[in-house]
Formats: sequence, structure tokens, C-alpha cells
Amino acid sequence: MIYQIVMYGLPLAIAALAIQGFGLARRNGKYTTLLTGIILSAIAVIGGLALYRNYAFYEIGGFGGSPALFRVDPFSALFVSVISAVMVIILLISNEEEEKGIFNMFFSLVAVGALVVVLSDSILTLMLGLELVSASTVLAILNGGKRRVEAAVKLFVVSSIAISIFVFALSLVMPYTNGFTIAPISMGGISDALLSLSAILFVTGLAIDAGIVPFNLWMADVYEGAQGNITALLSGVNKKVAFIAIFYIFFVVLALRVSMFAPLFEVLAIITMFFGNLMAMVQNNVKRMLAYSSISQAGYILLGFAVANIEGLSAAFFQIIAHMFMTVGAFAVVMWLAEKNINEVGEYKGLFQRNMFAGVALTIFMLSMAGVPPLMGFVGKFLLFSSAIGTGMLILAFAGIINSFISIYYYGKVIAAMAEGTDKARLHMRIGLGLAIGLCLVVIVVLGIYPQPLISVVHNSVLSVFN
Amino acid sequence: MMYFLVMIALLLAGVLIVSASDRKLSRQVGILFSSIALAIALVMLVEYLHGGTVTYSEAIPYISSFGIYIQFYANQFSIPLSLLAGIVTLAALIGGNPMREKEKATTALALLFEASAIGLFASGNLFLFFIFWDVGVIAAFFMISYLGSGNNHASSKTYLFYSILASALLLFGILLIYFYMPVRSFSIQAIEAGSALIPPSIQTAVFALLFVAFMIKMPVFPFHSWMQSAYSDASTQGSMLIGGVLSKFGAYGLLLLFLMLPIAKVYAPYVIIIAIISAFYAAFNMLKKDDMKRMVAYASMVESALILAGISAIGIFGEEGAIYGMVAYGLGIALLFLSVGSIEFMFGSKSTKVLRGVVRDAASTAYAFLFGIFAATGVPLTGAFIADLLIFIGTERSFGLVGLIPLFSIVIVGAYLYYAAEISIFDTKKGMDMVRYESGHWNPAYALLVFAIIAIGLVPYFILGFR
Repeated sequence: MIYQIVMYGLPLAIAALAIQGFGLARRNGKYTTLLTGIILSAIAVIGGLALYRNYAFYEIGGFGGSPALFRVDPFSALFVSVISAVMVIILLISNEEEEKGIFNMFFSLVAVGALVVVLSDSILTLMLGLELVSASTVLAILNGGKRRVEAAVKLFVVSSIAISIFVFALSLVMPYTNGFTIAPISMGGISDALLSLSAILFVTGLAIDAGIVPFNLWMADVYEGAQGNITALLSGVNKKVAFIAIFYIFFVVLALRVSMFAPLFEVLAIITMFFGNLMAMVQNNVKRMLAYSSISQAGYILLGFAVANIEGLSAAFFQIIAHMFMTVGAFAVVMWLAEKNINEVGEYKGLFQRNMFAGVALTIFMLSMAGVPPLMGFVGKFLLFSSAIGTGMLILAFAGIINSFISIYYYGKVIAAMAEGTDKARLHMRIGLGLAIGLCLVVIVVLGIYPQPLISVVHNSVLSVFN
Repeated sequence: MMYFLVMIALLLAGVLIVSASDRKLSRQVGILFSSIALAIALVMLVEYLHGGTVTYSEAIPYISSFGIYIQFYANQFSIPLSLLAGIVTLAALIGGNPMREKEKATTALALLFEASAIGLFASGNLFLFFIFWDVGVIAAFFMISYLGSGNNHASSKTYLFYSILASALLLFGILLIYFYMPVRSFSIQAIEAGSALIPPSIQTAVFALLFVAFMIKMPVFPFHSWMQSAYSDASTQGSMLIGGVLSKFGAYGLLLLFLMLPIAKVYAPYVIIIAIISAFYAAFNMLKKDDMKRMVAYASMVESALILAGISAIGIFGEEGAIYGMVAYGLGIALLFLSVGSIEFMFGSKSTKVLRGVVRDAASTAYAFLFGIFAATGVPLTGAFIADLLIFIGTERSFGLVGLIPLFSIVIVGAYLYYAAEISIFDTKKGMDMVRYESGHWNPAYALLVFAIIAIGLVPYFILGFR
């Protein structure tokens, strides 16, 4: 019975999401939000069921003898579930959109794209999913009115470049794939030069979306220019989807030459961590600061990819999940304050007095991002650094630890500002936003204090991809 | 026995209850929880003195993929140090925060800090040690930044910067130990047994990392620059807990380091040199201060240096002396900070240039300060006398007469503190009027600390009776 629900329910629910996404235009009102929320929650639940019953593997699509398009395995079920849950939280915080129907349409399409990437069994569907994610995000930003145009155009230009580079890279290795399936390609006829070129182009195309240095220069501008909820979406979903694509391309499709690419990831990880943290130190606008901190988090995640074994990859995916909740929670608070025209660090003074809940929540999110125990961000970093030390990559681990020390400088600046006294009026938070922040807090604290269940789930899911 | 687990769970429950309770009741609730925890610690002390055996509490699986257990040791280190944490926190809570509007935060943070301190002193593996370390650091950060006064925001940032540097080095060192042990383990017992097999180069690296981390926390020259501003700008309760207990985190960690790593013996002669430099540096710096809180801060730095000397002596006298010193100096410093804080509250100043004739209007505070000087300088019948005796016997045995040099720094400290007391407290010819006549609940808090100091001064068996 449950097998049937998962087997047919998951594609049906995603199709329903896509259909209602396309059909929502010009409709306003609460009901579209409610519908999107319900469908996303259903997808999260079904993904959770698939994960709980531990379905080994089944494929969807593949009509008339052609290779399959989608697959469900513990790894994709895990991320279907987590991404849908995070998107429900983002839906909760974006309660105040003006053109609600149109926003929900683009939002649903971003969700569909993200789920397609996670579930894809073919490089073509993966590419289409990535494109759907970024195109819908551009349109969602444009929905915010004229002052958002700059951010939308920047995102549009970089994501078009990204996808064309990706296509070029794909065309180089295409003859060697088995009908574009996401499965290891044999290295028989392929020359090293061609493979390296293709790998570099793949990294470039995906690093633009994932915000890896040196392909990150668009991020701070777009994060600052977009609406708060879209910023949460960009950092919480779009970036993570790009990491999942990197995982599929390098650790599944090009799996036989992983040892060739791991040093590339090592260099990128170190540069990304330092760049993100050092740039974040000099920011005064909290949204920009979080944008750069999100770049440095991409560096930590890459650290796990550079280690390139099961421990490193599961640590990276643990950190991806942790950062989804931390960043969405933090951007939710920052967005709420930006609505009240509070943007600079100096204006955060006295937040503890003005709204204790928001102050404590932002403090916990920031401490978690800085890697302070017993919070989820610490567990992620602990797993990452220990995987690096366990494989003898001491320099990489030391770079990571030094960076997590640097990051306390700018997080501490905000926290210390919030602790100052003030005589300004109290601020009130609407219930939906409070609920969303509370959900993120619960995840961060509970899985920080008792992380073992998630650690083993992530470990088993990553393992399942390789079997 | 699960005593430690019960204590920590109780204190954490206390934090939640205090946060939820009414502001006026919060102090009483906090005192209730803290006294129950102290009572449990006393029961444990009596039980172990009777039984005479040192036992280890059973382990609960926590993060099984890393073989991490929740395990607490009840031994000759953890019981006296938990008593120190319990007594100082209870005294701080009884003393209460005269800033009524922040009383709830004061109580909650003090209980959180007490839980972290007891957890750290009793933790049976280095992972738990690290978790409790960081929780204590963050709790103390808010005692400076949120509850403190004066230039507290700048000093809290400096404090956080140094503390997180210490945590980063600590984490790296702990992970190195874990991965280079013959059988990977975080357990302190296992590391003591197997650390001789760690390669010497790694041992040196671990020693350097952890030594710097613990030097920052003690603090010891040249990593002390966060100390004087943090101690003097924290709230009175914050200074008591940071000076009395938090600095012992570093001392206890260093003691463990010398017990765990055989290579520490090689570096012991350098360590005693650092201790001598630090003691005299602090003593001479103290002579330049007229701010009484800063004077006490430097006195505590001199005593940290004495503890360091005791630890570097290795062997039974040095070790016992270090533990005795941590407890006795911790109580004395807490008493000094409490009385100076009360003087500042009542007279509106803490400078020896301004204060005159405190004894006339606030006799109990004046005599508490005098007794604090006795306790800090090691007058017979106070605990510090026995601590000094043990430490210097230990250092003389290990290093010869060189080991006795730090003794003269206490003379400087004592002379200057007596001088300060003479001109601003006991000189009644030129009295000054109180700013506020409302008094805190200081007398019972003084009584508790004085009683504890005399008790361990008269009956060393409480601490030395374990062997």
C-alpha cells in the first residue's frame, strides 16, 4: 500500500504542483498559497515515507525502450522531503507578497524544478530542472516591481551563461554516455584532455549557480536586491540544488576519475571559504553579510566534496541540510527587519529589547552558522573537518577551522549590536513568520543536540547512490 | 551513578523554567535549582569520601558513528571543581543583579553557565568537553555584552574573538588526537592509556594547539589581553563566574593535557618559564591600576600563573596543588569580585582615587573585601595557603629553586591589595557618602563564600581525601 502511494503519489503530486503552478497566473487570494503549501507538504510526507520504508531504487519514465528519466532512491527521497519542507517554510514567510497568485505560480515552478533535479536519472532532465529553477526565480524576482529589475537581470544573465556552459560541457562527453543516463561513463575511448576540459566546464557552469569563488560575484548584489523571501529561496534551495547537480555529475557520471577532480575541489573550497569570510567581515548591510557568509558555507560544503569519500560526501550533505534551515531562518528575521527599514548592523542595536524572540532566534542561527555547539551547524562542520582529518588532509581541515574562527568576527558584530540597550519601541512579528522561524529553530536545536538519526540517514542515502 | 547527568538536566530545566517564569520570581527559582545542584554535589562528595573509591558513571550512546558516549567521571578532579562551580553560582544568584529589569536573564545565564561548567569538569570524553566548553563561553559572552556595563560591547567582542580562537584550536587538537590514536577514541581514559602510541610530531602539534587554547582561557601572558576589559565590564555576577569558574576551564584542560600526552613532560621547563613571566607581568601591571575590578582581574591572572606552575611541575604535589588552587583561588576571586561589585553599586565608583572610607557605611562589604585579600594571598586558614604550599613543594621538587620564584609575585599582589584597602576602604578620616542606600542581598552571599574558603582551609581532606 505505502509502496503504491510512493510509487504513484510522488509523480502525481509533482505533476499537480506543476499544473497548478502553470494555472495560477492572475489569481489572487489565500487559496493558491494554501494549495501550494498542501501539495508541497504532501510531497514532503511522501518523500519521507519512501525514505522511512527504505525503497532501494525504482525508475520512472523510459517509454518505448528509451532510458529512464527519473528515479527514486533513498538519496533523492531524502532531498525531495527536505527541499519540500524548506519550501513550505519559505512559503510561510512570503505571506505578504502583493501579486500573490503570480508569486505562487513561480514559486511552484521553482519547487518543481528543484524536485526534478533531485529525482533526475538523466542528464537532460537534470539540465531542464536547473533551468526551470533559475528561470522561475528570475520571474519571481521581477514580480516584486521595478526596483527588483536590476537583481532579476543580473540573475538572468549569469544563469543563462551557466546553462550554456553546462550544455557545452555535456556535448563534449555526450558520445560516451549511455543515452544521457546518470551512471558512470566508461573511460575507454575518452581522452584525458577532453575529459579535463569537460570537467572544468561542468564545474564552471554549476559553480555559478552554487556561488563558488571565482564565479560568485553576482551573489551579493542579487541577494541584496531581491525580496527577502526570494533571497531565502536562492540561498536555501537554488544553491543546494546546484550542489546536488555537482554531486550527480562528478561523483556519479564521472565517478571513475574522481581522484583527478578532487584536488580541483580542494583549491576551490579553500578559496571560497576565505573569500566569503573575508568579504563578509567588511560588510555593514546584514543581508550582504549573510550573502557572503553563504558563499563561505559553500566552501565548507565543497570541503566535503574535496575529501571525496563516503564520509566527506555525507558530511557535505549533512551541512547542506543544516545550512538550508539556518539560512532560511536567518533570512526570515533579516527580511522582517528590512520591512521595518532596519538594514545596517548599527540599526540592529537593541533587538533583544525590541523583540526578544527575533533576537534570540537570529543569535542561534548565527551561532549555528559559525559552528558553535550544540547546534546543527556545529555538527555539520565537525563531520566535515573530521572527514578531512581522517583522510589526512590536514591543511584543508586547518583552513576550514581557521575560517570558522574568522566567521565569528562578523556574526559577533551583529550579536553584540543586538545585545546593546535601546529606547526604541518594541517590534511585533506576524504569526506566520514567527511560526516559520520557530520551525527552523526547532530543527537546528534538536538535530544539533541529537544528530545521530540524521547522520545515519544521510550516510545511508549517499551510500545508496553508489550501490 | 547518574549524579552528574541529573545535575546537568536539572540545571538546564532550571534555565527553561526561569525563562518562562515571572521576573520577580526568577531569582528565587534560580536559587532553588542551584542549591539542589549544590546539594547533589555535596552528597556526592560525602559518598566518595566515605567509599574512598573513584568511579566512572556508565555511558549512554550519543553519536554512535564516532563512538561518542555521554559519560561523566566522578573523580578527584570533577567533584571539587563541581563544588566550586556550584558554590560560586549560588553565591552569585544570592547576591542577585541590582539591575532588576535584567534579573531574569542574569539568572538564566548563570544556571546555563553552571550546567556547562559542571558538564565540562565531569566530562569523560573530549567531545563533551568541547561542547560544554563552548556553551560556557557563549553564556559568559552574554554576561559581558548583554548584562555588562561600561565599555562592554567592545570588550565582549574582544572576549568572543579570543574565545572562539581558543575553541577552533581546541577542536582541531581534539580531532587530531581522535584520528591519530591507535584505536580511534575521544574517551579521556582511553587516551591516557594509549596516547604514547601517537606519533611524536602529532603529539607536539596537539600540545601546541591545546596549550595555546588553554592559555587563552586561563588567561596566561601573552594571550591575556581580553581579560582585564572583559572582567571589569561584565556584570558583577558575570565577573564572579568568569574569574572564578570560566578561567578554570583552561586550567582544568591544561591539567588533562599534561595527564594525557606523554610529550608534555618534555615541554614542562618551558611552561614554568611562561608561568613565571606571566605571574610577574600580571603583578607589575596590577600596580598601574586604580580600578579595583581591574586590580582583582590581574590578581586572578597571577593566580592562574601559579596554577600553571603547579601543573607544569607534574607529579602528585603539583597536580593536587593545581586542583586545590583552582578551587581556593576561584572562591577567593569570586568573593573579591562580589565585594568590589557591591562597592561600585553602593558608592558609584570602583576607583581607589575616588573611594574613601567604605567601611563606615558598608562594613560587611569592607570586611568581605579584606577577607577576599586573605583568600587570594594565601593567609593560613584559607584554602589558598594549602594550595600555595602544595604548588611550591611541587615546583621546587621538579625545577629546584627556580620553581619558587613565582612566590614573590604573590607578595606584590598582597601588598598592593592591602594598600588599596587601606587608602580607600579603611581610612575613615575622609569618608564619602553612598550613592544608593538600597542594599542587595550581599551578606548571605559573602557568608557562603567565606564559609567555603575557611572550610577547605581548615579541612584539606575535602579535596585531598580522594586518595
